[in-house]
Amino acid sequence: MALRAALIRHLRVPVQTLSPAGRVSQPSVANSLFGSIRFMSSHDDHLSKEDVADRVLSVVKSFPKVDPSKVTPDVHFQSDLGLDSLDNVEILMALEEEFKLEIPDKEADKIDSCKLAIEYIHNHPMAS
Amino acid sequence: MGERAAAASLKFVTVQANSASLAEARARVFEFFKTTCRSIPTVMEIYNLQDVVNESQLRSAVSSEIRRHAHITNPKVIDMLLQKGTEELHNIVQHSKQRHHIIGQYVVGQRGLVHDLGTKDEGTSDFLKNFYRSNYF
Repeated sequence: MALRAALIRHLRVPVQTLSPAGRVSQPSVANSLFGSIRFMSSHDDHLSKEDVADRVLSVVKSFPKVDPSKVTPDVHFQSDLGLDSLDNVEILMALEEEFKLEIPDKEADKIDSCKLAIEYIHNHPMAS
Repeated sequence: MGERAAAASLKFVTVQANSASLAEARARVFEFFKTTCRSIPTVMEIYNLQDVVNESQLRSAVSSEIRRHAHITNPKVIDMLLQKGTEELHNIVQHSKQRHHIIGQYVVGQRGLVHDLGTKDEGTSDFLKNFYRSNYF
């Protein structure tokens, strides 16, 4: 899919170099004007890091066992917030629900602080 | 989504858990908890619980049920409890239960049904309060 998109982008180039030469026809002008704006692309439809961080922190703060004043972007779930491993899993499930993700077990075992969670979600392509 | 949740819980029902060690049993518990949490949206849709409760309260209910047995160290006992939990999840996801069961057992919970805040109960002994909670204390 990405290869096809790259190929199409590459094939576009000959058309755009031709259009200044054959400047009569209407479609080629439209091509050079709107060629750089893609109305239907979701290529940079990525969440920004501040957005991800805000949502992650709001999910952690609304967790019933957590004191909201202690939550910072660097906080560690078990050592700073006094939660246990089951609470850790529960927070991860709350994050899965918020961002409509599904985190596999191997990755989920490593996430035990806000910083790691924000990083993982920001790098995940399906996060919304 | 409903099929996936049902299929996920069905996978647990057919395989007999046989943990070799406490670590393996612990991993199975977390896996069960995750399966349950992922089935929560389906459950809310089946029993129309959108106005009664939200997902995080159901998650807390599930985790407190698991935490009630957190002190157990025998892997076979943990396997047995997981089997019972999986059977319960299966019943709930397959719509074998009804809305009042879910509300009574998981939304209102253990404390809600018998906990009486009236003045007449404040003098009752701890024995009675523990007895209302469970047979084993």
